[in-house]
Amino acid sequence: MVLKVFFPACCSLAESGLLVGRWIPEQNSAVILAVVHFPFVPGQVKQYLAEVHHVTQVEVSVLGSWTNSKQAKEENLGRFLEDLSTIFSHDPWIQLSRKQGSKFWSCSTIWKHPSGDEGDETTLVYYDQRKVMLSQLHPPLDSEVAAASSLDRKVENASRLMAMFNTVSQSKVLFMKDRYDEGPIKLTHWQSEGVEASIIVELMKQASVPACLLVTFLLSLVSRVCQSRALTFWPLSFIWSKLSTCQQLRHRLQHLQVISSPKKAPDQSQLMRKANIFVSILLDVTLGILLMSWLYRKNRIGHLANALIPMADHVAQQLQDLLQWLMGVPAGLKMNRALDQVLGRFFLYHIHLWISYIHLMSPFIEMILWYVGLSACLGLTVALSILSDIIALLTFHIYCFYVYGARLYCLKIYGLSSLWRLFRGKKWNVLRQRVDSCSYDLDQLFIGTLLFTILLFLLPTTALYYLVFTLLRLLVVLVQGVIHLLVDLINSLPFYSVLLRLCRSYRLASGVKFRVLEQEAGKPLRLLMQINPLSYGGVMQAYRLPTYSCYPKDSWGSLCKKLFVGELIYPWKHKGEKQD
Amino acid sequence: MPSVQLDQTPRQRWQKVLYKKQPFADNYVDQSFLEKLRKNVHARKYLYWAVVFESGVMIQQLCSVCVFVVIWWYMDMGLLAPQWLFGAGLVSSLIGYVFFDAIDSGAGRNESGRTRWADLKSSVVFVAFTYGFSPVLKTLTESISTDTIYAMSAFMLLGHLIFYDYGANAAIVSSTLSLNMAIFASVCLASRLPRSLHAFVMVTFAIQIFALWPMLQKKLKAQTPHCYVVITFLSAVSALVGLLTISSVGAVLFALLLVSISCLCPYCLIRLQLFKNNIHGPWDEAEIKEDLSKFLM
Repeated sequence: MVLKVFFPACCSLAESGLLVGRWIPEQNSAVILAVVHFPFVPGQVKQYLAEVHHVTQVEVSVLGSWTNSKQAKEENLGRFLEDLSTIFSHDPWIQLSRKQGSKFWSCSTIWKHPSGDEGDETTLVYYDQRKVMLSQLHPPLDSEVAAASSLDRKVENASRLMAMFNTVSQSKVLFMKDRYDEGPIKLTHWQSEGVEASIIVELMKQASVPACLLVTFLLSLVSRVCQSRALTFWPLSFIWSKLSTCQQLRHRLQHLQVISSPKKAPDQSQLMRKANIFVSILLDVTLGILLMSWLYRKNRIGHLANALIPMADHVAQQLQDLLQWLMGVPAGLKMNRALDQVLGRFFLYHIHLWISYIHLMSPFIEMILWYVGLSACLGLTVALSILSDIIALLTFHIYCFYVYGARLYCLKIYGLSSLWRLFRGKKWNVLRQRVDSCSYDLDQLFIGTLLFTILLFLLPTTALYYLVFTLLRLLVVLVQGVIHLLVDLINSLPFYSVLLRLCRSYRLASGVKFRVLEQEAGKPLRLLMQINPLSYGGVMQAYRLPTYSCYPKDSWGSLCKKLFVGELIYPWKHKGEKQD
Repeated sequence: MPSVQLDQTPRQRWQKVLYKKQPFADNYVDQSFLEKLRKNVHARKYLYWAVVFESGVMIQQLCSVCVFVVIWWYMDMGLLAPQWLFGAGLVSSLIGYVFFDAIDSGAGRNESGRTRWADLKSSVVFVAFTYGFSPVLKTLTESISTDTIYAMSAFMLLGHLIFYDYGANAAIVSSTLSLNMAIFASVCLASRLPRSLHAFVMVTFAIQIFALWPMLQKKLKAQTPHCYVVITFLSAVSALVGLLTISSVGAVLFALLLVSISCLCPYCLIRLQLFKNNIHGPWDEAEIKEDLSKFLM
């Protein structure tokens, strides 16, 4: 088995010393984390490493020695290094040495218990310690794994890499010691020139704790008000569950609770989730405030309110024209005149009622819009949800027509299907879920056939009304669906992850690739490890925020079937479906 | 060894089995090969007048349809007042109802267990529903062209004749479907009539002639065959006379149809029976004739 030595690229110029790292016996590989410089007291080094081990739970130990031949010119150094191996007993003992002017490094391993594989090759793998420490390795996604033929091998490789990445990222404490620290031990690693930190970040960390506490307190107040009994008795709770604004507000409230919880995020994915939610809310509120500033300038609200009433009137006028057309001979279709007149007048009366209500409300519309517009400071999504609700309320007459038409049509379809069975002398057997033959009485047959004939001849009229109002309803649902899709997009898009992928692509790793630096017989192979960034699709899949989905999940086929049978379709999901 | 077998062969009798090795050529058969052949096992000898008598059901049904169409024609032309038809229908229904019980002196009623209260309820349901729906029926097919209605009615009446239960034991027979088609046709035709009272009377008449009249016929045929023959003859004559007042060509054609069904077709059946040549034998597929349930117990 090839011995792999992962060597941090930043240590290649370090002075001679000891290699500190972790030995992973299952993979026959050594992960070098830092170089300890001469001079040192072996006891202190051991004690320091024990402390590090205690804090990080990573088995850090001295793995071997490092010689940079620029400094070491003495002949007796070889002997000295071998003596070191007896002090820090490790199996195997790795001796890395670099000659000045030569590209190739020499590497020799000493096994305490020679097991016959002395002639093993050694591979040196350079890695960028900073990137590896900061990057988050993503295991291969299910779809990719399924596509790959060697499934097990891929998973195994991923877990090996994971072990290496974890070793580096967990030994953060080791890297906190820079060269300016007073101490008996001098180390070389990526931060040895100075620890990276930002004053702003530290200040924000300090400030976030009281801010979080304050937000949590406010949130608990708000949620207590929301859950009070006055707002949750039956008809109100039903209305709340149907208004998309309430759903959006509840969703955002949960998000705020997640962010402001004073507990530390347990793992990386939770941390990313928090960051994503935070950026999402920030963006949302920014867009909302922009919208608000646009709306309240130059009295745009007033113009909007003035335009709204004529628009509703116009829609009602169009509907009236449509009904008049349907009451005549629409498209040359042969309708039952009596039923046609009855239905047409019924719907016309509804429109009349609707217009009177709108006009009754018209003096208050500007005021209502002015106050509703303020809600945009809660975020663009809330404003969009309110827009969706306003559309739903303004097109309530269309919804009513649709429900009447659908109910009537549904009744006819079900009646016709069961009467058609009666017409053939059959019936539906509920117990066996099949059609059985049945002998009916004479009066049953007579009434059944009479009704069948009447329903059959009245079907085209009802079907036409149903068709027209369903098309109108679908138009409204489509507009609402687009708005909901937009809201859902803002809710679910992981902006922080996408930004990270855009600017710091190594932070989200999907794997690594190796580049061969030099190769020569007798010398160890030298590889450079580079991080493969995660694809944007992978980022979406891994960090997509879960949302309440308010648009129907019906497939197209079932939707068409529902439309044909006359079942009601809703833009929101049914309660029963939501649970599963 | 084969030679020894060959010596013995003339003694062996040929057996009609394939599973034995027999010393005969493959296509060898002997005298006993076709002795189990039977011819015309199920052929029946028909008597001419008996067949003519049985064809009466069909004549009756054809005449019913014909009378129904003729009456509708009179109503549509305004030659027959609906009150008259309703009165006549009521009287004939009452007479028929009395006859229905009188023929077998109440035996059928006791057997079926149907009370007079149920009869009254059924008739009230008929009349009430028909009367209630007659304005709807009147306007039902206003916008549909008359030709479509005629075609639909003709199609439905033809279906009624095809699916009617003439006494044959066939899969196509469905008295429910047949009756429903007749009612559908009557509703279609009634919707063409000038007023809603016409439509009401027409549908009532359809129930009488398509639902009630066949029930009485069946009983008459079983109990008093002579009376049945007379009634068949009378209904044929009435249908012909009714048709004659509308169209003489139609009457002639209809008379020819009736004659061919009642006289020519039975003659043909009996003549063709002579040419029947069905063979039966042990190669027929198995038929389970007896009721095996007693063995299964």
